[in-house]
Amino acid sequence: MKIIKQIGILFAVCWISELIESALPFSFPASVIGMGLLLICLLTGFLKVEHIQEKADFLMENMAFFFVPAGVSIINYFDILKTAAVQLVIICVISTVITFAVTAFCVKFTVRLMNRRKK
Amino acid sequence: MEELFTSPYFGIALSVAAFGVGVKLNRKLKSPVCNPLIIAIVLIVAVLLIFRIPYESYNVGGEIINMFLAPATACLAVAIYTKIDILKQYWLPIVVGCGAGSAASMGSVWLLCRLFGLDESITASLLPKSVTTPIAVSIAEPAGGVVPITVVAVIFTGILGGIFAPLLIRIFHISDPVAAGLAIGASSHAVGTSKAIELGEVEGAMSGLAIGICGLITVLFSMLC
Repeated sequence: MKIIKQIGILFAVCWISELIESALPFSFPASVIGMGLLLICLLTGFLKVEHIQEKADFLMENMAFFFVPAGVSIINYFDILKTAAVQLVIICVISTVITFAVTAFCVKFTVRLMNRRKK
Repeated sequence: MEELFTSPYFGIALSVAAFGVGVKLNRKLKSPVCNPLIIAIVLIVAVLLIFRIPYESYNVGGEIINMFLAPATACLAVAIYTKIDILKQYWLPIVVGCGAGSAASMGSVWLLCRLFGLDESITASLLPKSVTTPIAVSIAEPAGGVVPITVVAVIFTGILGGIFAPLLIRIFHISDPVAAGLAIGASSHAVGTSKAIELGEVEGAMSGLAIGICGLITVLFSMLC
């Protein structure tokens, strides 16, 4: 019953976020609304972590599994992949290194500024 | 013969079996290249092609698995909530770092796509590739992207981050564990985070926080574009 209740709570949160998504005048992903909604519920104490802990752990530990069907649909797009595979690999490598470096240096710089202010 | 494969149970059972093989292989070989998700996708594609099973039949079950993506994304809130103390302590570097990282990721992808002359739909598929898969998909899809290309690019990026994070930390002389953790999470989401957890507790926590926050910021940026 515990797990069923937790599934119920999470699905209800997702359903409400879909309602919010359709009511919004601009497009905003329902899954991210769900994340915000759940965080608000936890912060305000409306929901306690214990209410959803097991189900949340289950979903997050197995997150990768839920992408299997989305990944398999690559079977319909082999042609695009064939024509652009090399470019895709190069783009991923270069932008990953850039993202890493920019984030690390910005954090370093901000922490240094904060420390200087404290002194 | 056809009806055998159009049952939703077929797609679900095949997915679970293939993912199980992926997890086993990953544990045995202990290499980030052997990502369980990649192994599962390759195995299922092979099965469908060899036995000439139409993708649509497999996807009857696949759609049911897809349904769990939204609740799984929402659960990132639990990860943020349990680390709320660190978030309060370091909120400024976290927001600045994730904001700059998300902008750098999208900016560099956009420029490179232009440079290679890739079309709009591929550019839209790749733009959110540094954030976690469910958020990346929900950004790419309405923008006219090709979802499976997004999924593959996101996983590939995660694997790259997982492999090269220790090397990048040395090259760029990142001694601060807060900076290292956020950089790993911002550049390579959940797959990178599993590496960050190995590096240290602070690195792991920061990397986990960066997943949700970069996801949110990237959504906001993509709305402006």
